[in-house]
Amino acid sequence: MNYLLRGVWLAAALVSMLAPLSAQAQAPKGKLVLYTSQPERDATQTTTAFKQAYPGIEVEVFRSGTTEVMGKLAAEFAAGAPKADVLLIADAASMEALKRDGRLLAYPEAKVAGLAAGTYDADRTYFGSKLITTGIAVNTAAKNRPASWADLAKPENKGQIAMPSPLYSGAAAIMLGTMTARSDLGWAFFEKLKADEAVAVRGNGAVLTAVASGEKPYGVLVDFMAFNAKAKGSPIDFIFPAEGVPAVTEPVAMLKTTQNPAAARAFIDFILSDEGQKLALSMGYIPARASVGTPSWLPPGTVIKLMPTDIGNVVQNNSANLKRFSELFGN
Amino acid sequence: MARLIVDRVTKTFGAFRALDEVSLDVSDGEFMAILGASGCGKTTLLRQIAGFDKLDGGRIVIGDTVVSEVGQHVPPERRRIGIVFQSYALWPHMTVAENVAYGLTVAGVRDPERARRVEAALALVELKGYAARRPSQLSGGQRQRVALARCLVTEPSLVLLDEPLANLDVHLRASMEDEFARFHARTGTTMVYITHDQAEAMALADRIAVMDSGRLLQVATPSQLYREPADATVAAFIGEGIVVPAEVVEVDGRGRCRVDLFGLSVGMRCAPAQRPTRAARACLRAGNLAIVGAGAAGIGARVVRAVYQGGHFRIEAQLEHADGVLVHLTAAEPCRLAPGDAIRLAIDDGWVLPASDESVAVAATPPGLRPRPDDDAAATGADR
Amino acid sequence: MADTAGWRERAEETALLWALVAIVAILSLLPLARLLFEGVAPGGRFSTAALSSVLSSATTWTAARHSILTACGGTVLAVLIGATVAVLVGLTDIRGRNAFVFCFVLPLMIAPQVVALAWLQLFGPSSTLLKMIGLAPAMGSRNPLYSAEGIILLLGVQYAPLVFLTLRAGLRTLPQELLEAGLAAGAKPLTILRTIVLPLMTPPLVAGIALCFVSCLGNFGIPAFLGIPGNYLVLPTLIYQRLAGLGPSVLSEVAVLSCLIGFIAVLGIFLQDLMLRRRDFRITTTSNAMRPFELARWRPAVEIALWILTIVVLVLPLIALLLSSLVPAVGVPLTVQSATWSNYDYVLFDHAAAKRAFVNSFSLSATAAIAIVLVAVPLAYFLVWRRSRLLRLLNLVTEMPYALPGVVLAIAAILLFLKPLPVLGLTLYNTVWIILFGYLARFLVLGLRPVIGGYYQLDRTLEEAAQIAGARLLRRLTTIILPLVAPMAIAGALLVFLTAFNELTVSALLWSSGAETLGVVVFSFQQGGDSTYAAALAMLTVAVTIALMLSTLLTGKPARGVLPWRG
Repeated sequence: MNYLLRGVWLAAALVSMLAPLSAQAQAPKGKLVLYTSQPERDATQTTTAFKQAYPGIEVEVFRSGTTEVMGKLAAEFAAGAPKADVLLIADAASMEALKRDGRLLAYPEAKVAGLAAGTYDADRTYFGSKLITTGIAVNTAAKNRPASWADLAKPENKGQIAMPSPLYSGAAAIMLGTMTARSDLGWAFFEKLKADEAVAVRGNGAVLTAVASGEKPYGVLVDFMAFNAKAKGSPIDFIFPAEGVPAVTEPVAMLKTTQNPAAARAFIDFILSDEGQKLALSMGYIPARASVGTPSWLPPGTVIKLMPTDIGNVVQNNSANLKRFSELFGN
Repeated sequence: MARLIVDRVTKTFGAFRALDEVSLDVSDGEFMAILGASGCGKTTLLRQIAGFDKLDGGRIVIGDTVVSEVGQHVPPERRRIGIVFQSYALWPHMTVAENVAYGLTVAGVRDPERARRVEAALALVELKGYAARRPSQLSGGQRQRVALARCLVTEPSLVLLDEPLANLDVHLRASMEDEFARFHARTGTTMVYITHDQAEAMALADRIAVMDSGRLLQVATPSQLYREPADATVAAFIGEGIVVPAEVVEVDGRGRCRVDLFGLSVGMRCAPAQRPTRAARACLRAGNLAIVGAGAAGIGARVVRAVYQGGHFRIEAQLEHADGVLVHLTAAEPCRLAPGDAIRLAIDDGWVLPASDESVAVAATPPGLRPRPDDDAAATGADR
Repeated sequence: MADTAGWRERAEETALLWALVAIVAILSLLPLARLLFEGVAPGGRFSTAALSSVLSSATTWTAARHSILTACGGTVLAVLIGATVAVLVGLTDIRGRNAFVFCFVLPLMIAPQVVALAWLQLFGPSSTLLKMIGLAPAMGSRNPLYSAEGIILLLGVQYAPLVFLTLRAGLRTLPQELLEAGLAAGAKPLTILRTIVLPLMTPPLVAGIALCFVSCLGNFGIPAFLGIPGNYLVLPTLIYQRLAGLGPSVLSEVAVLSCLIGFIAVLGIFLQDLMLRRRDFRITTTSNAMRPFELARWRPAVEIALWILTIVVLVLPLIALLLSSLVPAVGVPLTVQSATWSNYDYVLFDHAAAKRAFVNSFSLSATAAIAIVLVAVPLAYFLVWRRSRLLRLLNLVTEMPYALPGVVLAIAAILLFLKPLPVLGLTLYNTVWIILFGYLARFLVLGLRPVIGGYYQLDRTLEEAAQIAGARLLRRLTTIILPLVAPMAIAGALLVFLTAFNELTVSALLWSSGAETLGVVVFSFQQGGDSTYAAALAMLTVAVTIALMLSTLLTGKPARGVLPWRG
């Protein structure tokens, strides 16, 4: 009977030793190539945190503007040897376009519990990582404080408005598509902006510079940029307009041609996990999973009224919208 | 030491024939001048000999080697010749010593041998002590001598000189002519000297080749060229010959003949094979003419200009009853002739030009005023 | 015997020629061909859809018109400024010449987008500088720079040093006696300028003009900053717009638009060729360089005017940049309390990529500058003095990678080098080497044009004399020709280095971790809203470049005229 006991104990010991080994053998490792359009700092923080969670994976990052990332991808597709494994880019419209081209690999087992509806693709090809809303930014020295989009477009703000150009920014294109689909805003809103001589600049960074420096005291800007600048002392305030805010979700996805699907899935898992969501929170974003919390700059109890976005519709009408915008804001 | 053989060399630029079957034979150690007005093709010929351009016909032989032929071309680097350029072509970023030493450096000659030869070359052209100067610090004459030294230091078998004295003043020219003459006597290098200045050519050359419009007109010693020009062009070009129509009345078969010149009977020299003919032309020199008194045998003429030239006058006169032929002669100081004066001219000698195919009606217009084809473009040409 | 003697020389020359042809073909022709292929046969299937949609769109032709307009306007302005300054610096007796040249050339090494940003801030209501002196315009007032005129102004200011560099190197070869002949004939200095100096300076001037035109045509940063807000499109920004769109045929449309830019650039080159053909600009004398014209009572006024120009063009934008790098966040007014070094701290110590970027940018730019000049000198030899038809075609082609927007060249490079090289099996993609390829391809023309201008001023008898002395081609190139074209070659190398150092648009797509360049890092800061970090990094770049240029003053005596700001 001693031998039997000893044998069981030995077997148990062996099993307990092997278990972590096999778990390790199953842990994803190797190289992961990430193309992202996040700001530099955020990209660095994300990859550092990911490497801590998955030490066996070596991450190579390419970071640039969304246009540059999409351009690089397009060239790689055309040359027949895409290098990226995962994408983390600003807006779902670009992701949707990639999905339609059949470039994305679905991940049905992704843990989407707790994520707000509409932030991830129904076919599980891409998943929003955070919620970035676009609202009204004002310079603290500005005369008015518009409380709604309609207020912003009032004639008294003539010549003092900056907005990101949808011609150069996918996020702004989503904003355009979302707002023109609404009856309370529609194209009339943009026509009023045009009458107010609003300036469409290249990207949110330029809007921030314009508003904070006072060149254009009113701007259409993403929330985190305004708040991070405010925290450093910039004379800028952010207002959630009454009609609601369009949002982009900075989705993550993996490419069909990924060389390391296990690592890619691990990355998506990380982004959607509580740990990843808390990271987004600490970087100043509203996380996609509401239960994780809200960023410090958001006054407690604020209810963000999200404008619903039919991403399919947006992508469908994109070129027509862009054309109309381009003609409206004149050559 | 090399013989240079130019054998029916032809070079065309598009439709323009810059060299037309030029043949020339330069003996070992000879000093040959190629003489002609601007645009006659002498520079083109030099560039062919040097190897900068390729020829379209004929061949060139230096020593025993065929250096240029259609389909074969030895590059200039390999021809072992020297050139003194008109613009000296001294390298401004090198000192005099470095300029002169360049050929030796290329050939792999090292110091102290190289330094010794450079110094010897500089001594040869009397520029000792100038080794460290830069070309921009030298005068024209000094640069010329550096160019010569650079050319000589590699002891080439053939030296080409492209109007080397053209940019120098008169006094310098005289002393540099001496320089060249002395150098040639000392080393016996074969030298081909391109010039438009006949005085230079006559003073320096063993033989002179006269070119015009891409063709070689005559190759002869200076004296022969002067006394027995082969055709009207050479006659007019050398020593400002006066070419006049004449009738050969009788010949003696040994080089003398009797000629009727506007009614005047003159004894002249001619080629032994010369025959009596009504349509000959004679070449007169200013020295053959003299002003005589009214009663003496001579031709009437009217003075056009009288130009003082320091101790004597140059008289230009128009012959009467002779279709306005212009002549010129020298008259000693004092001379009181004025334009319009009537004078009487005696002629004591001349040369009957050998008959040729040339049908150019020669009035005695001085060379240089005769229209020439504009071949500046050819001289600079696409390959230059 | 004669055969073998000539054979070696011919073989050497032919080998050199074909090596150069191969280099130019790989650097200039290959990317272009790959783009063309993508334009008419995307994904391998022939289709003219992209061609027709682009060419039939009104936006294309509007952008083309704007491109030509701003390029011509910018060139004219750059030539006016650059030529005037070159003449004043090279031919008159103003004092403080070297310092002035130093300052005038400096803006070349500030990236165009930084220049645009600095000027925008300077003239805007938020201008830290203007606020400090109480002259800031009212909030929200329209910035006058957002216009075609603003673009032309900035393009002219940006590229005036380019014209200056090429012209100044050419002026150095102008000998005293040519000008004295004019003075002796009774001509006044201005007449001499017009009738002797400028005609003789036609080759370097035309080289500068051609470069300037193509630079303005392909410039992206300035129209991006100043044109986008007013929707004033030029071809590079239109291309960028297309890229930002979401269609599947993006690349082929971009390829077609790129070819349009290339076509316009080619027209410019034909004009340059036309202007230089059939005229003799050779200077054969070796006399001393020009003794300056004396300005007498005009001198103080001219000197003041020049320094005011420097202050406006260089100092003010730099000050604006400096000030925005010292504030903790955008829009915070600069006071003694608010001034902070935290931006510099971050960029220098916390941000690993910035340090790498300095090293990368410096090595890439220096390598590119040296390599390009080494190729340019023999290439120009064949182009100017051998004149084969094949080479003249290649000459045109070298303009293309420079005229095309950087992003397009980057795309072509990706298309070419994504997969490993056929025989060698090496992958250039995602290494510094693909960026080097991009720089070599793009900036070859910057080094080549000035050198070509230099050859036109060279008397060929100098080379012929060396030939007669027995020197073969390579030896002649290194011992005779290179020293003589050195001023122009150095001007070209400088241009390449300064432009590559801050280059953004090509590196933006080609960089990878470890292979960051300065332009890329500044750009990402800007895009992320961290314009204070961007300003700090840009200031550091300026400081490093100034240090480099100053260090050249410490080295021994170089040949006369090699560096524009030395003697």
